[in-house]
Amino acid sequence: MRRSLAIGLLAILALALALVPPAGAQTREETLIYSLQSDIDNWDPPNSVLREAIILGYHVYDHLAVRDLKTRRVGPNLATSWTNIDDTTWEVKLRQGVKFHDGTPFTSRDVKATFDRVLDPTKKMTARGNHAKIKAVDIIDDHTVRFRTDGPYPLFVERLTAQVMQSDKVIREKGHEWMQENPVGTGPYKLVKWNRKQEHQLVRNDDYWGPKPAFKHLRIRIIPEKATEIAELLSGGVDIIKAVPPDQMDVINKSGQARTGTSPILRTAMLQLDQASRSGPNPFTDRRVRQAANLAVDNDAIIKFVLNGLGDRVATGVNPMAFGWDPGLKPYKQDLAQAKKLLAEAGYPQGVDVLFNEGPPIVEPAIQQTNDAIIADMTKAGFRVKRNYIGDNTVLVARIKDGKAGSMFNWSWGYYSVFDADAILFDVFKCGENYSYYCNPALDDLIIQGRSTLDQKKRTEVYVKAQKLLFDDAAYLYKWGLRGVWGISNRIEYQAPADEVDRMFLVTPKKK
Amino acid sequence: MKRYALRQVVQLAVVIVGISMLAFAILHVIGDPVTLLLPQNAGKDEYARYNTLLGLDKPIYVQYWKFASRAAQGDFGKSWYADTPAFKLVLERMPPTLYLTTAGLVTALLIALPLGILAALKRHSFVDSLCTMVAVAGQAMPIFWLGIMLIIIFAVQLRLLPASGYGTWRHFLMPAFTLGAFLAPITMRLVRSGVIEIMNMEYIKTARAKGLAERLVVIKHAFRNACIPVITVLGLQFGQLLGGAVITETVFAWPGVATLTVDAIRNQDFPVVQCAVVLLALIIVTVNFLVDMIVGLIDPRIRVGA
Amino acid sequence: MSAVNEVGLKIAGTPDATGAPATTARRSWRRLWRLKWGLVAAVLMLLIVGVSAAAPWIAPYSPVEVDIRHRLAPPAWMDHGTPDHVLGTDQIGRDLLSRMIYGGRVSLLIGVAAVLVSSTIGVSLGLGAGYFGPRVDWTIMTLVNVMLTFPFVLLALAVIAVLGPSLVNMVIVLGVADGPLYARVIRAETMTLRERDFMTAARALGMSHPRIIFRQLLPNLVSVIVVIATLQVARVIILESFLSFLGLGVQPPTPAWGNMLGDGRVYMLNSWWIAAFPGLAIFITTLTINLMGNALRDWLDPHMKL
Repeated sequence: MRRSLAIGLLAILALALALVPPAGAQTREETLIYSLQSDIDNWDPPNSVLREAIILGYHVYDHLAVRDLKTRRVGPNLATSWTNIDDTTWEVKLRQGVKFHDGTPFTSRDVKATFDRVLDPTKKMTARGNHAKIKAVDIIDDHTVRFRTDGPYPLFVERLTAQVMQSDKVIREKGHEWMQENPVGTGPYKLVKWNRKQEHQLVRNDDYWGPKPAFKHLRIRIIPEKATEIAELLSGGVDIIKAVPPDQMDVINKSGQARTGTSPILRTAMLQLDQASRSGPNPFTDRRVRQAANLAVDNDAIIKFVLNGLGDRVATGVNPMAFGWDPGLKPYKQDLAQAKKLLAEAGYPQGVDVLFNEGPPIVEPAIQQTNDAIIADMTKAGFRVKRNYIGDNTVLVARIKDGKAGSMFNWSWGYYSVFDADAILFDVFKCGENYSYYCNPALDDLIIQGRSTLDQKKRTEVYVKAQKLLFDDAAYLYKWGLRGVWGISNRIEYQAPADEVDRMFLVTPKKK
Repeated sequence: MKRYALRQVVQLAVVIVGISMLAFAILHVIGDPVTLLLPQNAGKDEYARYNTLLGLDKPIYVQYWKFASRAAQGDFGKSWYADTPAFKLVLERMPPTLYLTTAGLVTALLIALPLGILAALKRHSFVDSLCTMVAVAGQAMPIFWLGIMLIIIFAVQLRLLPASGYGTWRHFLMPAFTLGAFLAPITMRLVRSGVIEIMNMEYIKTARAKGLAERLVVIKHAFRNACIPVITVLGLQFGQLLGGAVITETVFAWPGVATLTVDAIRNQDFPVVQCAVVLLALIIVTVNFLVDMIVGLIDPRIRVGA
Repeated sequence: MSAVNEVGLKIAGTPDATGAPATTARRSWRRLWRLKWGLVAAVLMLLIVGVSAAAPWIAPYSPVEVDIRHRLAPPAWMDHGTPDHVLGTDQIGRDLLSRMIYGGRVSLLIGVAAVLVSSTIGVSLGLGAGYFGPRVDWTIMTLVNVMLTFPFVLLALAVIAVLGPSLVNMVIVLGVADGPLYARVIRAETMTLRERDFMTAARALGMSHPRIIFRQLLPNLVSVIVVIATLQVARVIILESFLSFLGLGVQPPTPAWGNMLGDGRVYMLNSWWIAAFPGLAIFITTLTINLMGNALRDWLDPHMKL
């Protein structure tokens, strides 16, 4: 027995030693390590719903247009210029001299092939909905394409930043399943190896048409546990982490090994109130009750004390960085006396019972803490809040979609990184949409107007009206625009991105 | 013996089929995978299209039959998220989990054997209680607490070990220890009682009187006696270990099959969950089967179902 | 030499092997003294239970009272600590001491309730398997194997997703998950007992099955059941923290040691007290229960294999 035990132990030891990886030519100096909390499901960006897929897509692929982080405007990338020939046609000119990682030149055939594939109703590409307004892509010559749209499409340029350009040759010759694990793009990095749920190894594309990344090797590690991620940053195992909880910022800043960087991001948080009574009759169908809720909560104090100042107060759901935001509209200020008065006027002098469906801390930082603070405030005004914590985000989202999440629930919206008021108004405020618990025909009219014209001035006017309407009607309990917090190693320079897309190819070593 | 083995194999098969049915039923009850697959702004017809595409609109027994007939040939379908065969995904991630659980079991033994023997020799003394306390200490701390503390001490403060990840023997140390500490108490108890029992038997006493050579024969016998319950329990624990493995894998960013399964469950990626559950069941049941065979060979009285 | 059967159960009434003095009174005192650590543990346990039970009268604050201006306050003896909050406050300003005391109630309640469920299930299954002969044995043990092999996580997700995250559901999940452990042990014991003289006598006398089970078998099994049950309470408290780690445990704002530890784990890096104190509570309680369990085992049946 002892002998077999000894043999067993030796076997284990041998096995363990066998796992020592061969000495690599890679040094830590020339390697940048970035961590994600969850891995992508596949390397085919139009076939994925995940934010991580968007980010990784930026490294291996290119887009026709990209957002300049400093000016926050959309500028040329693989497309050099675009014009709209008429209300429903856009002509786009492509950059010359660009090659895919396999050597094939990038031409208009690739643009057409990419969009044809995404728009094909028989494939289950998840990005199809995003580009549904594009009817077809026509090839004019090797470096010119025309997009025909279904009616005027003011978000056309914005949405160009949301589609990677894939190779026509690969689509035709390699097929769908191969593309899930083998991205062939034109981007600044090439994929070398993908160990699922463990890490991605990428190497610099030395033939890249644009500015070459400073770091030759890029490792993207998957670390699901936040405490471990922070520990890795502190011990030098990782260079950049994202979504640092505000409360852990001081550990990083005091460590001498790393620092934090913050940026306002497009994602905006709110508590949806069931004005449309999708879940049945409830107190929030009365405007006075909704206004009372908004007046009860001291959101400014919550941002200051619970989020350590990391939030930007908003008057409605429209984010300050989105096109159409009205800077002249000031948010609700806490006024408990007025709140109680309004509740009494609405017929609830003794207070009112409401049901609150809460979700888990997946997207919003410190959500449990902020919820507790909000509820404490609402209780002071006379709301009796019954809490229903739904620990599983999938269950919560399903209930919301089915209209069963009333009378009140947590929500935040990332706009799909489209910096435009329409990107939130349509999905979150329009009557009858899956994720909207508000119904107001006057608002719906404004939304349709806003997305049916290409005249930016007219659109701004429309959106100002829409925001005033939403504010006066207190459609939801408005909170704040989120701020992203990144943890950055002191050996590198990095700018926290406002569009929530990390760009490792822009990272440089610390200036000496 | 042959009949016994045959019966066990039949039981094995029944168990696996039973588990796959149970998993299938539970998955269909949990929720709606299509909502998760689509982006937030997909409309109702996208939803309907996906439903048909994934075959979810057919009645449940039809779905199960399709699944079972294909699975028997090794085809568990394609993951709904990764568009690659579920079997490939699960198989890729098996080895790290198996290495981890084995390393955990070995660590548990390394902790439990000396402690158990010491406790048996000094039965009922303070040392006995102390040994129990040391063995139990590992289990008295939730795995994620112990794991994170080890990471803070050894990776952040002392910079001796990598905080997480998979690759070198250094990456094994903390996770294996965390998992092993979880198993140590029960193993230690069994070693202890096994040794005590042997010590009390007549031939031990006479062997002690007779001298060294006899003693060695007897110690060998003692080990064997202690080993039976230890092996049985370790075999049992192998199945339970997967629960602990989920947490260890999450905390240490270990690319194993336990976290794959949990994620697949949350995402309601049916093909992957089915595949993982069936394959894991196969391994656990095989391990238990082997354990029962070995024990049955050594001591025919304890044969299960004989 | 005491009468020890194959599985090591001492037959009640015969003198033990250490040659203790004949007088009963002195023997009892000696046994009690040997179990002194167990007694200390028992007293400590009583203290813990007492404090938890007296929560509404002892706790300085309500466990759910939020005070965002005083969040993350350290314990009173540190810089920035105040005597208002002896153990500090958590991430939304709730008093940690009060939450610890109230949390004890929830954790201990879950532990005891889950163990009641699991022991009932396990004993029924084990008894049935051991008593009624090979066919029933085979069926029941197959069922037990399915339960053992079925991933606990899947079960937890399923129950809690479908029925909602309530205390009752947690108890059911934990109870069902742990049942099989008892089944195996009880089965082995039952099978051994079945062959003994008093059993053959009972059958010869024509006693009905229920009578044999309840009058003859169960009393002999009580020691094993009690010892395992005691140890299981400790294990369930730990399992509750695992569920919290996965987001499936006791839901906020209700405090339980497990979820306090789970929520506080990211704070182990700076505001360490949020996780440290509940962790300490779990640690001490688990140790205490184990020592008590040891003492119980030694008191009831020193030759027990546990």
